[in-house]
Amino acid sequence: MDLKLDADDLNTCVQCGLCLPHCPTFRVTGDESMSPRGRIHLMREVQDNNAPLTDEVLESFETCVQCRGCEPACPSSVPYGYLMEQTRETLADAGHMTPTWQKLAFKPLANPTMLQAGSSALAVAQRLKLVPKRLGISEELPIRRKPLKATGEDVYFFTGCVMDAWQRDVHAAGMRVLEAAGIGSIPTNELAPCCGALHAHAGLADDTRNLAGTMMANLDPDKPILVDSAGCGAAMKDYGHLLGTEAAKAFSARVFDIQEYLADHLEALPTVQPLDLRVAVQDPCHLRHVQRAHQATRTVLAPHVRELVELDDDGLCCGAGGAYSVLQPDLSGDIRDRKVAAIDRVTPDAVASANPGCSMHLGAAGVPTIHPMELIDRALNA
Amino acid sequence: MTAVLYTDDAVLLDFAADVGSEGAVAIEGARTRWGLGGPLEESARLLAAPSGIVEYVPEEMIVTVRAGTTVADLHAELAERGQWTALPERGGTVGGAVAVGQNDFRKPARGELRSAVLQVRYVSSEGKIVSGGGPTVKNVSGFDIPRLITGSLGTLGCIAEVILRTNPIPAVERWFRADGADPFALQRVLLDPGAILWDGTSTTIQLAGHGVDVEADIALLADHGQFAEVEAPAAPTGHRWSMTPAELRNLPTAGLDAFIAEVGVGIVHASSPQPKPPLSASVQLVHERMKAEFDPTNRLNPGRVVGVR
Amino acid sequence: MSIIERVRRTISGPESSGDPLLDELRAALSEDRVKIDGAQRSLLGKDASVFDGGNSGPICYPTTTDEVVAIMKIAESHDRAVVPRGAGTGLAGGAIPLGAPVVIAVTKMNQILEIDEDNGIAWVEPGVINLDLTRHLTPLGYHFAPDPSSQQVCTIGGNVANNSGGPHCLAYGVTNSHVVALEVVTASGDVLMLGGLDAEPDGYDLRGVFVGSEGTLGITTKVAVRLTRNRPAVRTLLLSFSNTRDAANTVSGVVAAGIVPAAMEVMDQRITVAVENYVNAGYPTDAGAVLLAEVDGPEAGIDIDAERIRQIGLDNNATDVRLAGSEEERAALWKGRKTAFGAVAQIAPDYYLHDTVVPRSKLADVLDEIYEIADRHDVLVMNVFHAGDGNLHPLLIFDGREPGVLDRIHAAGGDIITASLDAGGVLSGEHGIGVEKQKYMDRLFTPDDLDHQNRLRRAFDPVCRANPGKVLPMGHSCADIQQLRSVPAEVWG
Repeated sequence: MDLKLDADDLNTCVQCGLCLPHCPTFRVTGDESMSPRGRIHLMREVQDNNAPLTDEVLESFETCVQCRGCEPACPSSVPYGYLMEQTRETLADAGHMTPTWQKLAFKPLANPTMLQAGSSALAVAQRLKLVPKRLGISEELPIRRKPLKATGEDVYFFTGCVMDAWQRDVHAAGMRVLEAAGIGSIPTNELAPCCGALHAHAGLADDTRNLAGTMMANLDPDKPILVDSAGCGAAMKDYGHLLGTEAAKAFSARVFDIQEYLADHLEALPTVQPLDLRVAVQDPCHLRHVQRAHQATRTVLAPHVRELVELDDDGLCCGAGGAYSVLQPDLSGDIRDRKVAAIDRVTPDAVASANPGCSMHLGAAGVPTIHPMELIDRALNA
Repeated sequence: MTAVLYTDDAVLLDFAADVGSEGAVAIEGARTRWGLGGPLEESARLLAAPSGIVEYVPEEMIVTVRAGTTVADLHAELAERGQWTALPERGGTVGGAVAVGQNDFRKPARGELRSAVLQVRYVSSEGKIVSGGGPTVKNVSGFDIPRLITGSLGTLGCIAEVILRTNPIPAVERWFRADGADPFALQRVLLDPGAILWDGTSTTIQLAGHGVDVEADIALLADHGQFAEVEAPAAPTGHRWSMTPAELRNLPTAGLDAFIAEVGVGIVHASSPQPKPPLSASVQLVHERMKAEFDPTNRLNPGRVVGVR
Repeated sequence: MSIIERVRRTISGPESSGDPLLDELRAALSEDRVKIDGAQRSLLGKDASVFDGGNSGPICYPTTTDEVVAIMKIAESHDRAVVPRGAGTGLAGGAIPLGAPVVIAVTKMNQILEIDEDNGIAWVEPGVINLDLTRHLTPLGYHFAPDPSSQQVCTIGGNVANNSGGPHCLAYGVTNSHVVALEVVTASGDVLMLGGLDAEPDGYDLRGVFVGSEGTLGITTKVAVRLTRNRPAVRTLLLSFSNTRDAANTVSGVVAAGIVPAAMEVMDQRITVAVENYVNAGYPTDAGAVLLAEVDGPEAGIDIDAERIRQIGLDNNATDVRLAGSEEERAALWKGRKTAFGAVAQIAPDYYLHDTVVPRSKLADVLDEIYEIADRHDVLVMNVFHAGDGNLHPLLIFDGREPGVLDRIHAAGGDIITASLDAGGVLSGEHGIGVEKQKYMDRLFTPDDLDHQNRLRRAFDPVCRANPGKVLPMGHSCADIQQLRSVPAEVWG
């Protein structure tokens, strides 16, 4: 069947195999059909040679975490992420993957009221011990939340959907850090209810396009938009490609990861006593492999903690992958085991992760994970 | 195209004719390791391999040499261009050294013999000239016949000619000895010792390389014992034990009268032969098949068995 | 698998597939470690070369030596060939399946079993990735010396099968010098321990002949690799030249001067531009050729050889000589060199990477000839190679969708091989023969030579069931794949 993949993009892969070790699912399975080279081969087989969509082929596509760790490793610059998103979109449209329950499950993300209600229900369920641990919601969710208030008008602070519902404290910390650097921020709240990243990963790109349109219409086109979730930032930086319009490209150019933005304003922060912690940096895939802005995390953390240590796993994915940990719990757990082992090897006091999905996923395995902004906020207020 | 590959070298062709295709035959070198592999069957005709350096290309660091050439003659020629090979210098021939496959007692400095044999030409059991390997320093074209023939004691073919890799002779080579110095500690401290010999009491070390590097190593030696510079020692004699580097630590309690151990390598020169277990049944089977494939009539060096000491 | 299906299988056990071979393999391993889906079998039909072996048979993922033995015995009882596979990065088609053999993928045998510093070795399983091993050894001050361009992905088992090289094999030697012992399983299921940790193991050097035998003697299940100590000092020089001839002459000049650098790599202008676009390491894109030369060793004398190489470069018209100022700069330069092949996809989607060796003094002449050959066949060639060994890697770039292009590529490749052999060279320096160069073997070896290679092979595998159809040319018993092609059409769809 026609997967609607660009023939040139598909042809860019020369099968050299250099992507294999950078793919978390290949690493844990040793199975080439669960590697980027293998998945591209299967895309070609399906699109060019009309190979049947067997369970194994679909499994190969469904098990991709979409971490895009293969992209920086690829000397041929194969746009793997786009190939996989398009494959999933085509297959979802044709009813081959992304079942209806999943489509419905993503709907409330775009609706703050529904999400708040659902989240409060989840908080209650958590207290009743009804929430499986593997969901990674390790700390108790608040049943009621205080809304975030603007601290100025210099920048937008993207609050998003799940993160705002579950990790609003991180947003608050980020806004306080910005304020300490003299940057006032406006929380986007219902102006920008959701970035649409999870929808795009599931092949529901039209939903993402709608959400992008809403956000672009609601936000003042002159202000930078800061994002403290690597996954959301990556998605929003990609609106230019997704929508293909000049307005979208201009919008994407205004999106910054909060660490990335703060790194350029670091001198404005007061000098403080660093926290007495040995901190391992866990690079979220969408910060490292997609935004490629992960060095900024080190730049902003360095003055605020005693010691920064690097993991030795080449930035391999932790297995969170947005909804991946729920949809592919076994693989996700195996991938996480590798990450946890890498963390254990450097014996940190805490692990800094700039993505809510990663921190929840690692937190569920007992790893003390904290957002870089929370660390800096603590150092500033110590 | 193919035909030109067959050699028209009259010396080799004569040697092949001498070996022929019938009757037991063995190649005699300088008899420095004649007893290895057990007694030769008395019926075997003794032949000498042809000798002489065929081609020496110092710029390529390779030399083509006939098997009957002595290692001493070869190395004398190479030394004029500042080179040598990994072949042991102990009075034997090139062919004998390759057939036996043992390294020089300064192996860290000289390199491994088995890696130095780039190409081998031998006369087969059927009296044909066969080549394996190639003339370049790097080569994975086909099966590694040179490694099979090296150390095969002439039981698979009569070695006629080899192409060897040569190496530059280091700028400086000096020997030092001290009593009571821990050779194992030194092996960890020194980056590239040319040899560390140990007799249980004294440690004799060769340092080789650039003058400044040797000087730096001499400074390190001072922390490990009262080292004095000595003449280069002669090659150790006696029975040859093959041990793991780690096993050498236990030598003083192993009940040997006297020994010289090559620390870091695992070779021990001792007065008594090493007790060795037989090959495993599965490996033995491959050995038997190999011999049957290469010498179906069992006429090459009959009586000799690789691995028998 | 649906939940209902999963529950059903839990209750009743695996259902017979109707294929006894498959059932037995699944019983010996587990159902999920024997794959048979058509898409997966087509995927394993290829490695990183341009060759396609067609669909493989069942793909097995063993985790122990015992399981490998079981697979071998089951395959034997069904008279099926076996093909080992690591990461599938081979460039000569050595791991592609001919005649739907049972594939044994070693990627799940990926444990580093033991580091034995006293004996200077590590025991590893064959699926361990080359660079993972080196990274694991780094804190102890060691590395695994063979460093093929694919080292970040290729497996130790694959390195053993191909006797892999890499830039730093110039000084340290190829894989055969870095493997001291091997546990292997033959096609008949015998487990052999080859070589040993002692200095001079008894018997024929079966370890030595197994390394580089491209899976035709059996499959490696455990490897004792030598630990190479990290060198305290390293100097990396980047020399620029206006043409490849000057770069090649510098290389032969260095060798002739009796210097053995850790590595000497040359890239021509076309490949340098492609590489620089990818890594931004500061490679000069206006130079006709660059030479990356590295020396390592003790701190005291490290600059002596570096200076001599610089001088030899200048004597051969180097336009610039740069010393890498930091470890980051050095790493970036090497990253560029090691990803060179993939980087050409910026220019065209397909490449054919050749591999021949010539005497180092002939490098410049053979390179000139290669450019002429490419012009004659109207194909684009780039050269990036292990100059210190005389190991050429002409890279032919093309778009496979262009009609007739593959014929021109193969014709040019044949001429390059002829030119290399005429210069006194050999067929392959590190990629192996595989299915790529079988038909050229009789240009390097006489029928008697090849007959003896075949005898060596039969001593391990008398019935030629291990990776048949590789290395030896047609007409030799283990190469005759006619019967292998006669797999019943209905088997495995």
